[in-house]
Amino acid sequence: MDLLYNVAMCKKELYIICILLREVDPQARKFTQVLKEADGILDQIKDVLEHEVLPGVLKPLRYIGSEYNVVKKDWDAVKLRTLFAFPDLYEVGMSHLGLRILYHLVNDREYFLMERVFSPWTDMEQALRERKIPLFSLESWRPIRDFDCIGFTLQYEMSYTNILNMLDLGGIPVKSADRDDSYPLIMAGGPCAYNPEPLADFIDFFVIGEGEEVILEIFDVMAQHREKRQGKQEKGVLLKELAGITGVYVPAFYEPVYGDESSVLKEIRPVGGALPRVVRRVVRDLDASYFPLKPIVPYMEVVHDRIMLEVLRGCTRGCRFCQAGMIYRPVRERDPELLLEQAQKLVANTGYNEISLTSLSSSDYTCIEPLVTSLLDRYHQQKVGVSLPSLRVDSFSVNLAGQVQRVRKTGLTFAPEAGTQRLRDVINKGVTEENLMEVASAAFEAGWTQLKLYFMIGLPTETFEDLDGIADLAYKVLHIGLQALRDRKLSKQPRITISVSSFVPKAHTPFQWEAQDTTELLKQKQEYLRSKIKDRRITYNYHDADLSFLEAVFARGGRKTGLALLKAWEKGAKFDSWTEHFRFSTWRAAFEEAGIDASQIASAGRRCTDVLPWDHIDMGVTKEYLWLEREKAYHTATTGDCRFEDCAVCGICQALGVKTVLKEGNRADAAAHKI
Amino acid sequence: MLLRIKYSKTPAGRFLSHLDLLRSMERAFRRAHLPLAFSEGFNPHPRISYGSALAVGVTSDGEYLDVMLREKVSPEELKKRLEEAMPPALKVLEFKEINPGGDSLTALINMARYRVRAPLLQPFEPRELEPLISRVMAKTCFYVNRQGKKGIRQVDIREGIYELRGYIEENILVLEMVVKTGSQGNVRPEEVVAMLEKEGPVSLAQGLQIHREGLFVSDGDTIKSPMEL
Repeated sequence: MDLLYNVAMCKKELYIICILLREVDPQARKFTQVLKEADGILDQIKDVLEHEVLPGVLKPLRYIGSEYNVVKKDWDAVKLRTLFAFPDLYEVGMSHLGLRILYHLVNDREYFLMERVFSPWTDMEQALRERKIPLFSLESWRPIRDFDCIGFTLQYEMSYTNILNMLDLGGIPVKSADRDDSYPLIMAGGPCAYNPEPLADFIDFFVIGEGEEVILEIFDVMAQHREKRQGKQEKGVLLKELAGITGVYVPAFYEPVYGDESSVLKEIRPVGGALPRVVRRVVRDLDASYFPLKPIVPYMEVVHDRIMLEVLRGCTRGCRFCQAGMIYRPVRERDPELLLEQAQKLVANTGYNEISLTSLSSSDYTCIEPLVTSLLDRYHQQKVGVSLPSLRVDSFSVNLAGQVQRVRKTGLTFAPEAGTQRLRDVINKGVTEENLMEVASAAFEAGWTQLKLYFMIGLPTETFEDLDGIADLAYKVLHIGLQALRDRKLSKQPRITISVSSFVPKAHTPFQWEAQDTTELLKQKQEYLRSKIKDRRITYNYHDADLSFLEAVFARGGRKTGLALLKAWEKGAKFDSWTEHFRFSTWRAAFEEAGIDASQIASAGRRCTDVLPWDHIDMGVTKEYLWLEREKAYHTATTGDCRFEDCAVCGICQALGVKTVLKEGNRADAAAHKI
Repeated sequence: MLLRIKYSKTPAGRFLSHLDLLRSMERAFRRAHLPLAFSEGFNPHPRISYGSALAVGVTSDGEYLDVMLREKVSPEELKKRLEEAMPPALKVLEFKEINPGGDSLTALINMARYRVRAPLLQPFEPRELEPLISRVMAKTCFYVNRQGKKGIRQVDIREGIYELRGYIEENILVLEMVVKTGSQGNVRPEEVVAMLEKEGPVSLAQGLQIHREGLFVSDGDTIKSPMEL
């Protein structure tokens, strides 16, 4: 008989006894107590993980923590134990700035603790399930069920099944209604929380808006609540208390009311005295807001493995399909002197050799040139480079990119989004063909040989002529490249990549009412475009139309879609954004069983008067403004950027008492950047 | 100045691959404000060279690297800064300035000492262990399969095993071994364990814990640590 296996079995059973004990007496927080009594059982579990489980899985560093700048606290000395949960792999989650901000902000409070957990990859999931070891946190290796509050970040719709899977792996019932007072409170925030309804059955409360602005308030309320009750939580009471905080949405206090045809939403009715609308929280002054200067430095390579210096937040270019451009308003820049100070501390505290200037559009930062120059001057000798992840389509940006390029020049990426001027005006993408040609010439002349262009198909009013436009642009850029490289007497061939995604109508955008093309039509358009692009020097990529369809369903779906999500997860859906795991047939079956007409949600347009599932979420930009923008789209009329032109009265500044903050090293410069 | 550093890979660091190690060490040196010297060229790298690479999953108390600095830093200063800058996975044990121009660590190091803890599947009589080890050591050859670029090839590891001792501790077979390592031939501790199992009768469970106690430079007569050179 396998002796070690016996030992493991023994441990496993002890562990189950602990879980059972807690179930017998849920009020007493028995689990932790029993753990303490059953001397060192946590250490035994650690032992099994370390010597049996982790050596057998891919990239064990995903699960062990202990990185530089990690925060480990005394579990028993704090008032509240919270867990930041990222529903994707470690290397994806650790690249997320929001995690870094909230993790260190909360842990800077002596009496709060925040640990991390990520989705285990399928090999690790199997190993945990086989041994009945519950999902554990990276810092203390404790079961996630032991925490007082678990917060999920909602970065993309296709991570939703992973949320359910993580709860289940932690021995936590996935539905809010099935969790009694003994379970941690489950919260969620991030961009997808702006339409929280598909997750309303699973999440106890949502945070609408910028987390650093409200998280401490929430945890203070929780800590006080627990102190009054000797360390216990009364879920119903606590949720009521939390609902009193601006920006907190408790779905249990809102009830969707349907019309005669059960699919038509009539209203979302507050019950028990809840406010009619939940107002978004927003950081007023980025200079005064918290920014972590001692972030965790992973051992393994993560997707964004560098210093992230946030130069500004928000974007008012006003692209009509773009959710980030609406929900992160207004534009708030950070002071360049402060940024230099932060950079200095970050370089010293992390040892990274690259500083990335992050934001939705970093070349829009009014002090970008002096900032880049100062950073390059200061860190040149230490071989610390600067990078700009998001570039506007203009030659100013190319020059900037040329300045920061430390190593061999490889690729540059731009997003014209649509193939014709007409359609670019419809979506309010302020880019002209002239801009793009200038950019291409400037880039090839400066030494780049690869350009990547992002486009979107399926946009409202799109015709096949617009698709021809995409192909035309690709060829024109290629020819500019050929000419430029020939002029420089280089034998190298230019390479153009056309990356084409499909339009997904998102909540709180001017296109929230628009129909998504059916997947059949999207696939037809993808094929059409493929037939137009024959040159081997042009690479053509496109996104899975079925995945875009699902994104639309959950971006726009109401509370009932939660049932389909549950069914899909029960049928094994997880890591849906990973091609190797995505199975559309599972989802089709799930929608059918749940009795949901998914194509109605994604592929049908909405009327102006329709009640939308997220109407009770007030993000500051008014619905009237969004509709006006939608109308302007159909008249091919553009709207200017309120940073450089008149206020377009989107409503954000009035509604939330905020204003655009520009540091304008030189205002004339800023105006010159205008396209 | 050329600095030789002896460091350990702690249990927290046992899953770092060699690439993870390079990345983490460079970052630690940067945090320690070491005046790193860089290679020339488009993509400058700090001039750090490592001793023999450690397999993933193995801990160690005797790893070495040489790092080139642009200017001198006092030993007290170095000690303080390095201690603060190391991540939990790695720990600096010793360092000293060495003369540039000598052989690289990879060229020098040719011997390693390991301690292996192997959980027993079935009870094993401790007094049978010594005869078993003697039988293994009495062999003149032992072939193992190695995956090379041109497919699997057979390698004789027996002559690379210099010392082998062992004892039983609470159902765990503990083995201490000194083996050949480096560019002139390499014996892996798990291969020695396999040799023992094959000679048997001893049945081991999964979960081999391998710890490298040190790396050495042997010229046939004397055995020195890279710090003693």
